[in-house]
Amino acid sequence: FERKKHIRFFTRILQILPSRYAILDTSRLTVAFFALSGLGVLDALDAIPDKDKQEIIEWIYTLQVVGNKAKSSAFNCVFNCRDIIYFSFCYTESMETTNNYDCSHIAMTYTGLASLLILGDDLRRVNKHACLEGIKALQLPDGSFKSSYDGSENDMRFIYCACCVCTMLDDFSAINQATATNFIMKSLCHDGAFGQGPGHESHGGSTYCACASLQLMGRLTTTLSPKQLKRLEYWCISRQRNGFNGRPHKDDDTCYSFWVGASLKILGIFDLVDFKENENFVLSTQDIIVGGFAKWPQINPDALHSYMGVCGLALMSLHSLQPVDPTLNISERARLHMQTLHEQWAVARKHKEAVSRVRTKS
Amino acid sequence: MSSSSDEEEVYQFYRDRAEWSDVKPIPQDDGASPVVQIAYSDKFKDAFDYFRAILHTNEKSERALELTQTAISLNPANYTVWQFRRVILQHLKKDISEEMNYLSKIIKEQPKNYQVWHHRRALVEWSRDSSKELEFTEKIIKLDQKNYHAWQHRQWVIQEFKLWDNELTFVDSLLEQDLRNNSAWNERYFIIENTTGFTDQVVNSEIQYAISKIDIATKNESAWSYLRGVLGDRSLTWSKELRDQVTAWRNDGLKSPYLVAILIDFYEEDLENKKCNVGETLGKVKELCNELANETDTIRRKYWKYVLHRLIKEYQENEP
Repeated sequence: FERKKHIRFFTRILQILPSRYAILDTSRLTVAFFALSGLGVLDALDAIPDKDKQEIIEWIYTLQVVGNKAKSSAFNCVFNCRDIIYFSFCYTESMETTNNYDCSHIAMTYTGLASLLILGDDLRRVNKHACLEGIKALQLPDGSFKSSYDGSENDMRFIYCACCVCTMLDDFSAINQATATNFIMKSLCHDGAFGQGPGHESHGGSTYCACASLQLMGRLTTTLSPKQLKRLEYWCISRQRNGFNGRPHKDDDTCYSFWVGASLKILGIFDLVDFKENENFVLSTQDIIVGGFAKWPQINPDALHSYMGVCGLALMSLHSLQPVDPTLNISERARLHMQTLHEQWAVARKHKEAVSRVRTKS
Repeated sequence: MSSSSDEEEVYQFYRDRAEWSDVKPIPQDDGASPVVQIAYSDKFKDAFDYFRAILHTNEKSERALELTQTAISLNPANYTVWQFRRVILQHLKKDISEEMNYLSKIIKEQPKNYQVWHHRRALVEWSRDSSKELEFTEKIIKLDQKNYHAWQHRQWVIQEFKLWDNELTFVDSLLEQDLRNNSAWNERYFIIENTTGFTDQVVNSEIQYAISKIDIATKNESAWSYLRGVLGDRSLTWSKELRDQVTAWRNDGLKSPYLVAILIDFYEEDLENKKCNVGETLGKVKELCNELANETDTIRRKYWKYVLHRLIKEYQENEP
């Protein structure tokens, strides 16, 4: 396990990517998340000097812009990217009506907040109200979420992002949990796992999103019957060949060591995995020259698979990696920081309520 | 190398095009200390600087449409470009079939890109013309039988335009070619669920269908999952035929882990229904779990031991 090379790989990504990565242009924040969280799990956030950390935090906050307050309250605050057209936090207005060139993405909201938590930011400058209004506006009548207001596909991935955002902001009021749960259950496939939507084939990625979303909403074991849980366990554990594949009869792929591994962790049976085989596979996709992990052995590493490879190994507590929270896909340390913030918010809320009670009395 | 440099020579930057001289390009504002920068090519920078400009002025013109095409060729994953392209297409009342031809080419080059498929769906929703969709998705599926996007689109079209009629034949032909095609098995379930539904009669015939496929390849996870799937809320032992067949296969010496797994589940149902001698049945379960753990499915040895312990715990202690 080439720890030092992986650290270099992730720090390099944070700086600059060659032009062939232009296709990642609209998801640079996600790439930043992979790198930052990867460093966090490697216990190597020190590799980024404090000054740079602060600059990254500032950069993320520049993607949040307060919108036109004259508009309806739901839209009074818009998270987006200023003159950059590729991503933003949360955005609820249509490009058409605003003549605006901001385009947001729910996955950027999730990875933006996650990155701030990883960097130890207190989220004080996040406009939580606007963020939650943004999430609310993206939920469809069938319970699923689209990724941006102007229209996108809607599927399990974005339910997961919505659940993560609400968890991080400690407020689930923006999600209609009943319809979201209904959508998830309608996507339960005949083979016992979840597809991206109703009727679609079971898939390791959508199964992860479904399990983690149900868990984040606190509904996993109350929604799935014992029989359904058993079949889901069987499907997930059946994905292991050496590493894990994402669908039956497909090849192993590094990222499923996390997606399916974390699903098994959420289901409470991750210990039943053959750790040695799983580790061997993930390490076989490691690039021993430039660092990072690839989808398959003998191909070039990329940001996503590097991060998922590290997380897949972390689930097995190998190579002194930091523990990973399987539902939020951030380090345990970042999750604890989040909890501390939530406790502070709760105290502040109570204080505010008490003050207003005193005021009304007097 | 030479061909690409030729291309560069022919290509004219937007900043050098006379018809764009009235537009002031907007460079990307990446802030004081950008993160995850991309070393954009000159062509990329030029095109997107102009794209930002027309987005800013909300210019819905022919030249803007052409520009989105260039931008898409440089980054087909940019959803803002696609979205604005749709806005322009609607504004100019463009011919959708022409757009479809253009899009089909791009999808063939980028069959795993979310944005291109979303665009396709948007176009079909506007035109309400689904006539090319089955043929088109079939082409993509022939190139990659498990392309998730193509299957998603196909299912949407079938459901939206009620094109169920010939789909089972299509699925059959795919399963003839590759009976491990999990996407095709899923499609089979999808069609039946939405047409005849899983009546007792249908369940029986689908069990027969799966059995005939398992007979050819006994270690095919997809077919075994389908068997369990079609039973739905019915118990596994609901079909006597299925149990008889599985028992017969076993008696023939088959050791497929999926077959053994279903045998274990049969026994579990027997235990649940108190239809057996507990000690004897648990003895059989133990034998099967050990076979899986130690011989035929060793990568899941811990799982099979867990299954065994669970069943012993659940039923042995309850023995009167």
